[in-house]
Amino acid sequence: MRYGGDNRGRLLIIVLIVTSLFLITLDLRGVQVIDGLRTGTQTALTPVQKAGSWAISPLRNFLSDVTSLGRTRNKIERLQAENDKLRLSLQNRKNADALLKQLQGVLDLAGTAGYKVVGAKVISQGSTTSFTQSITIDVGSNSGVRSNMTVLSNYGIVGVVKYVYPNSALVQLASDPAFRIGVRIAGSQQIGIMSGQGTRRGVLQLLDNRTRIKEGDVLLARGSQGGRPFVPGAPIGSVTDVDNSPGAVTQTAEVKFYTNFSTLGVVAVVVSGEGTDPRDALVPPKPIPTPIPTVTVFVTPSPSPTN
Amino acid sequence: MSLRSFLYSTPVFLTIFLLQEAVVTQLRLPLGGFNLLLIVALIWAALSTPEIGALTGFGAGIAMDLSQSSSGPMGQWTLVMIIACYVVAFLGYGDDNIRANPINIVLLTTVGVVAARIFYLVLGILLGEQAGNLQSIFWSLAGTAFWTAIISPLVLKVISFIHANVFGLSSRI
Repeated sequence: MRYGGDNRGRLLIIVLIVTSLFLITLDLRGVQVIDGLRTGTQTALTPVQKAGSWAISPLRNFLSDVTSLGRTRNKIERLQAENDKLRLSLQNRKNADALLKQLQGVLDLAGTAGYKVVGAKVISQGSTTSFTQSITIDVGSNSGVRSNMTVLSNYGIVGVVKYVYPNSALVQLASDPAFRIGVRIAGSQQIGIMSGQGTRRGVLQLLDNRTRIKEGDVLLARGSQGGRPFVPGAPIGSVTDVDNSPGAVTQTAEVKFYTNFSTLGVVAVVVSGEGTDPRDALVPPKPIPTPIPTVTVFVTPSPSPTN
Repeated sequence: MSLRSFLYSTPVFLTIFLLQEAVVTQLRLPLGGFNLLLIVALIWAALSTPEIGALTGFGAGIAMDLSQSSSGPMGQWTLVMIIACYVVAFLGYGDDNIRANPINIVLLTTVGVVAARIFYLVLGILLGEQAGNLQSIFWSLAGTAFWTAIISPLVLKVISFIHANVFGLSSRI
């Protein structure tokens, strides 16, 4: 049977509704008691809410992660792609900076000597399977490059152009065992022949047995007729070890090339070096030693006590 | 409603109120979440007589008006809850087809929650409050219905147990 209610029940409902309407009226009229009640409740609730927030934070974080799982994954993927792109860009920038530095160095060298050069980028390192040392550069006959032209880096001689194609050229490195170059020692002007050994070190053979060489001597290219295959004055390397074996027919020495052949990025092909001889102008400056600071301590003896 | 029942009911609703304010509001659930006090009050009313339902609505409404999340004037939720709880109790009282079946109570609670919110909204508009656009209102009501339908069965057994101990075993599901 349905509840029909009685007078007492109806009265209770009416009282409650009137009370609530009374509260609404009081609040809308801005009675301070109502505001104080709310403020007091909120003040009392704040520590409980703080405790609840602390206790619920792991669950809330978990729920937040679950609800935003798809968005988070998309965001991570997007940021990863962006990061890869920026990393690649930075890498390219570093590479470009290094190439620019090399190019600047090689142009400075060529400018000091008065060589006319064509800049080139190393596009491949030749295979050493056949025991040769070579590189391929991205300029060829279309750029005025011919065979037997000197190739320079920012430190000095790299090698000589062996084969020329329309848009590329093969360069025999100075480290190639078949490489030979006429050299002179800066300063003393003694002459000799330097040959590659397959490494960054070459062997110098002096032509005159009576002359003396020492460690640190700088070798420069002696130059060829018409500047081909070698322009005069191009730096090659420095003497690192002298072989003074008694009874040797010729004096030999080990030479370290200035050019690091494994890090070549930009080189220059000397297309016209005829008529220019910089003499010793291209000898690299010696490193300046860093001064070591000294400390001087002054001590004044105190007078000894007398009795 | 005896003094004993009132004394026993008060800490229950106080605890629910604290749970709502300190825990449920921190969960930041999607679709607006749910109001535990509203759900418990309506379940409690559905298991009670209309007078007790109205009194329950009055107490719960006062608490909801004191809540931080309440935007309306003091008494607005009280009025809404008195009427909502009374109607729910009135619909359930004396009809064992409704009261003895948990699904009906869940349905009644869910409809009651949505109806109470609509009533609160209408009352707020009449009192000059801003309601927002229709789409957000619709999604908020749908979210409330969704969460109430989920939470009600979970708390029904506990509320029924407490209610039975406060008012007598006859109302226990």
